[in-house]
Formats: sequence, C-alpha cells, structure tokens
Amino acid sequence: MTDAEKLLKLKELLLTEDRDFAHQILQKLDLLEETVYVNKNLSEKINPIIDKKIDAFIETMPSKLGPTITQTLKSEIKNSQDTIVDALFPIIGKMIKKYIQQEIKILSDNINNQVQETFSVRKFKRKIKSLFFGISENEIVMSEMVKAQLQQMFVIEKGSGIIIASYSVTETIDEDMIAGMLTAIKSFVEDAFSAGNQSLENIEYELYNIQIQNFSSYYMAAVISGAIDNASKSILQDKMMNFADKVLKNNINNKPIISEKLESFFINE
Amino acid sequence: MSNSKKVVLIGYFGVGKSSLIRRFVQNIFTDDYLVTIGVHILKKTLIANDIEKTLVIWDIEGKEDVKTVRPSYLMGTSGFIYVIDSTRIHTYENLNEEIKFIKNNYPNIPLITVANKCDLIDVEIFKKQLVDLKIEIDFLTSAKTAENVEQIFINLSNKIF
Repeated sequence: MTDAEKLLKLKELLLTEDRDFAHQILQKLDLLEETVYVNKNLSEKINPIIDKKIDAFIETMPSKLGPTITQTLKSEIKNSQDTIVDALFPIIGKMIKKYIQQEIKILSDNINNQVQETFSVRKFKRKIKSLFFGISENEIVMSEMVKAQLQQMFVIEKGSGIIIASYSVTETIDEDMIAGMLTAIKSFVEDAFSAGNQSLENIEYELYNIQIQNFSSYYMAAVISGAIDNASKSILQDKMMNFADKVLKNNINNKPIISEKLESFFINE
Repeated sequence: MSNSKKVVLIGYFGVGKSSLIRRFVQNIFTDDYLVTIGVHILKKTLIANDIEKTLVIWDIEGKEDVKTVRPSYLMGTSGFIYVIDSTRIHTYENLNEEIKFIKNNYPNIPLITVANKCDLIDVEIFKKQLVDLKIEIDFLTSAKTAENVEQIFINLSNKIF
C-alpha cells in the first residue's frame, strides 16, 4: 500500500462519520427551508397553533379585555366629544327637523283656526259661555269637535310582531294576528320605500287612524276612532314616549305589569 | 298572556305552505291554488302540561330563492319550516344551499325540512332520490290527507319553547 493509498484509507476512516452527519444536517436544513419558505407547508404547521391561540383568546377576551375596553370607550367618548357630535349630528338633525316640522304644522293649524273664527258668531258665543262658566275657550272648542277616542293600544316587539301587551276598549278580532299583520305591513312599507332608517308612523282608513311610535326593540300602535288633529297627535306621541320611559323601559319583560299600566295610563284618552 | 313565538314557512311557489297551515290551524284542505301575496298570518295555540304555547305562523309568498325573501319578514323568527314539493324536483334540488343560507343568517334558530304532497308520490323512489341528491328531509307530509302535519308543528314547538 502506497503512502497515498494509506492517506486515503485514513481519510475514509476519519471523515466518513462526519460526512454522514453533515449530510443528515443538510437534509434537515432542506426540509426546514421547505417548511419555512413554502407558504402551504408553513400554514399547515402554524395554523393549528394560531387557531388554538385565537380560540383561547376569544374565550378569555370578555373577562380580560372587557373592563379595559369599557374604560377606553369612556375616556374616548370624553376626549372626542366633537367627533361624536359630528357622527350623531345627521341623526339628531333629522329628528329635530321632523320635530320642528310637526310643531310648525300644529302652530299653523292653530293660527288658521283662530283667524277663521275670530269674528264668527260661534266665537262670540263661545266667549260668552267661557265668561259665564269659567271654562277655557280651548276646552269648549275641544268638546265641540268630534272627539277622537283611543280604541286600542298595542305594544309590539319589532321583527317578530309578537304582542308584548295590549289594551282595548271593545272586543276585537285576534290581537296576535293584528300585531303580526301590522308588523308585516310596517316591514313591507319600510322595505319597499327603503329611505334610510325611516319608519312607518301612521296608517289611516276611513274614520280610524293608527298612530305608530317606534322605539328600538318594540313599537307602540294606537288605534283611534274619530278625527284626530295634529295637537291631539302630538299629545298622544308625548304620552306614548312617557309610557315608554316610565313603564316599558324597566318592565319590558313583565307583560302583566305593562298590560295593567297600559290600561291605567291611556284609559281616559 | 300566552307564550307566543313566531314561526315562518319558507319554500317555492305552490309547494303547499298555505295548505299545511290551513290544515294545521283550521283542519281544512282545498285543491284550489290561491297564491299568497305578501304575507298571511295565522295562529294556533297548543297546550302542553297546562301551559299555553301560541305559534304565530307567518305564511310568506313563495320564492325560488330564499335570499330574495324580505329579511324583515324573517326577523325575530323563533322557528323555520322549509317546505318542498315532493312531486317537483326543482323545488328541492338546491335545498342544501337554501338551508345553509338560512343557518348562516339566522344561527341557532330551529329549522325543520318538510316534503309535502307525499300522497302523490312513490315514497321509496323519492327517498332514494333524496339520498342521491344528499338531501335530508325531516318529515314527509300531506296537507291533503293531514299526514304528519300536526307533528311538524308540535316537533318545532318542542324545539322553540
């Protein structure tokens, strides 16, 4: 064996194991590269871990972040009043506009009536009656008119049309079905004329008038017989809003109480 | 005050939604086809364990695609009944997609699938066809013979009350 052959043999003996080891590392590196640089492979490995983390995060989020979010919101609202005003202005503006329109209409009606009646014989008679009996002229005018009378009052859940409470002066056909159909008509009109977030507020048929007052999760519907003027409508609207504030707000799940209060609240209207 | 829940029947035109409701509520059936325009509402009170349970049933007009039903008619629903006509394949060949849409948009609301007019078909052939189409139907009904009609509403009311 020559020296060169001996050296080769020695190299083989010394380096074969290292070379195999290096080869294995190289293979592992290739695999690692393939995993890291090929999106699909990386996703397969990482997605389950991320999903697990997200699930755990979702589960603990309300308890962990709830108080922080509430606090942040509170301070943000406090610090960004102008931004909030900007955001709410269109909505509030619309409400105010509607309110002013309504009030101007009432005022205009009243002025018209006054002008028409100032020099009439009826007006003169009314004045005399008022002086003698100490009753205000307005009250006499009201009694002279065909008095509008509340026939039925409903509190109905929005969407489902399920009746929450009702009050009726006379026996009527099934109230559940009235509430359902009223909701269906309302939904249809609001869908058909999809003008923003506007809602159906009034339905008229012959001598009956249904006044609807919308709230967030429910609405109130008042069925009125006789002629109802704008002033009476306005009073009824106020009354419905008061009822919502004083009774419905705190008892929305207590149907017997709402029904009972509905009767006492509106019985003399 | 009774305990009331809203139930909506969905399905193609002429599958027999109104007939099923009329059979259940008024126990009547007629062969005349009167198309439902908009929505018709009926109610039925069931008494179980001395407790009144009222189903306010919304019979909405038939649509070939549930996506075109007015969302406001479906809002606040406590239970759905999807009705197909077992004699007309095009009323159920897309059933799985329709069901998927309802479940995605109204999650956790009980839904029952009903194949109506089963008095007019060979039930075994129909069932085989359902298997081929990978469609699952909860009840085979006939508004005409009243078969299974009451059961679908009782089954649904047990799920929603």
